[in-house]
Amino acid sequence: MDLFPLRLSLEVSLAATALTLGLGVPVAWALGRRAFPGHDLLAALVVTPLVLPPTVLGYYLLVLVGARGPVGRVLDAVGIEVAFTWKGAVLAACVGSIPLLIRAAQAGFEAVDPRLEAAARTLGRSEWSVFWSVTLPLAWRAVLAGAVLAFCRAFGDFGITLMVAGSIPGRTQTLPLAIYDHVQANQMPEANTLALLAAGLVVVLLLGLGRVVRLRY
Amino acid sequence: MLSVSLTKRLPDFTLDVTWDAADVVTGLFGPSGSGKTLTLDCLAGLARPDAGRIVLRDRVLFDAAAGIDVPSRDRRLGYVFQGYALFPHLTASDNVAYGLRGLPRDERHRRVADVIGRLGLSGLEQRYPAQLSGGERQRVALGRALAPEPALLLLDEPFSALDLPLRRMLRDDLARVLREWRTAAVMVTHDFAEAYRLADRIVVYEAGRVVQAAPRAELLWQPASEAVARIMGIPNILHGTVIKATPDRIQFRWRDQLLEAVNSPTRSYLPPPGAPIAFFIRPEYVRLIRKDRGPADPGHHMNLMTGVVVADEDFGTTWLLRIRLDASGPPAQGDHDLQVEVPHLVYEILEIERDRRWEFSIHRGSIHVLPA
Repeated sequence: MDLFPLRLSLEVSLAATALTLGLGVPVAWALGRRAFPGHDLLAALVVTPLVLPPTVLGYYLLVLVGARGPVGRVLDAVGIEVAFTWKGAVLAACVGSIPLLIRAAQAGFEAVDPRLEAAARTLGRSEWSVFWSVTLPLAWRAVLAGAVLAFCRAFGDFGITLMVAGSIPGRTQTLPLAIYDHVQANQMPEANTLALLAAGLVVVLLLGLGRVVRLRY
Repeated sequence: MLSVSLTKRLPDFTLDVTWDAADVVTGLFGPSGSGKTLTLDCLAGLARPDAGRIVLRDRVLFDAAAGIDVPSRDRRLGYVFQGYALFPHLTASDNVAYGLRGLPRDERHRRVADVIGRLGLSGLEQRYPAQLSGGERQRVALGRALAPEPALLLLDEPFSALDLPLRRMLRDDLARVLREWRTAAVMVTHDFAEAYRLADRIVVYEAGRVVQAAPRAELLWQPASEAVARIMGIPNILHGTVIKATPDRIQFRWRDQLLEAVNSPTRSYLPPPGAPIAFFIRPEYVRLIRKDRGPADPGHHMNLMTGVVVADEDFGTTWLLRIRLDASGPPAQGDHDLQVEVPHLVYEILEIERDRRWEFSIHRGSIHVLPA
């Protein structure tokens, strides 16, 4: 049977998790460590993807990055096409999963004793160096936990991906969409196999996470 | 060498202090919440004063008027935090090496090994803070702060995380380290004995202000006011009425007694007759008159008075007696007028347990007047 959806899903959710880490960790650090105007607004904004219906979220994303959307036109000008491509799937997965990473990482950063960072500053380190040598090493378990949850959420995304990337077999049809198609076509054995693979992968990941976060530094 | 003047307003507290330190070790002493740690944070650049100026050896670290605020990382101060704030994810030697990142690798290793050796931490290099004892953690924290050879060492309650017997031992340890390293230090403590043992000069804080700054011996014997004496925890702080004051002596009435104290000519405190006066008597400087050597000689024994031991407490090596004087009116301190400390041996020889009525004398030099 065609395992392309599984491969695509793994690639898309890995890319989405990388993007989520890159965007989410600085936001989580700012929310957990800095006071700035609009702090509470940003904190509320980052959780909206969790509570909005995925199709609504996907619709707005499509309006934004579609060929005639404001962001889409800019990207089109530099030759990047997002809507109905694998890039759209990555964007969809990232937006759907970033709240999980930010929440977990923010809690992790908040749990780091500010006196440790103060000590690092008095010992001659810049803010950048303090983050990499003290804050992140002490919060990495929370960040990792958030990243694994975000990966699982990205791997399982259905609604947002369907809206932004479509469900084009062999191009943007990820595993959850493929399962849906198989069920629609009454191809139960195929649906079964893919569903088992997906469930198994997520369970293994979460078990592994449980072991890792119990490790000492 | 260090000159500090700063104001910082917090919602329910205002710090407004000015002091200088030319000595090796300066103690900031005062009750909890009097602004000592906030002062250290301002020195280290971790808190930003609203106004003021901090100068360390001709180096302006902060000057609100000139808009100077050197960031923490460039101040070159070693800060030993209360509870130490060691990096839990780094070994003892990595903690010590943390502030040496700018150095070449060989130089860094040499410096860490040197600090580890001098602080007696050899063999513990690869331990994590969680695997060290309280005393070892303190030394790692000291090593981490001292390794970059700071211009000034800041110590915040360096013994608060330790239990009592260890505190005494480490107090001597720290005194030795400070002497050996010859690094100027500012130490915060709420324990007067600690401040006295380690600091050359003591700055007394109360409610965000400095109430006295003096060499330690001067502070011990001449607290500037009753408030300072109370912060120091001095017992027997009492109130009388002035009869006559000269630059050398002050005579006053207290509990039907006529007492005479030495005045300090340098202080020129001359309250008018009839004015209230505060003074204190150290419990260990009150003398009991032996009954087997004839009657007391008023020419030899100054400030004679008689009274009864109403209570006593055994402190192991000494006894603390609570004395009620033969005088009209309520006693000065609840059920007693005076606390008197006597060594165990004296307590036994004089059979104070059985014999409760005594005559006392206090040398005029042992009655310390507290200027209003």
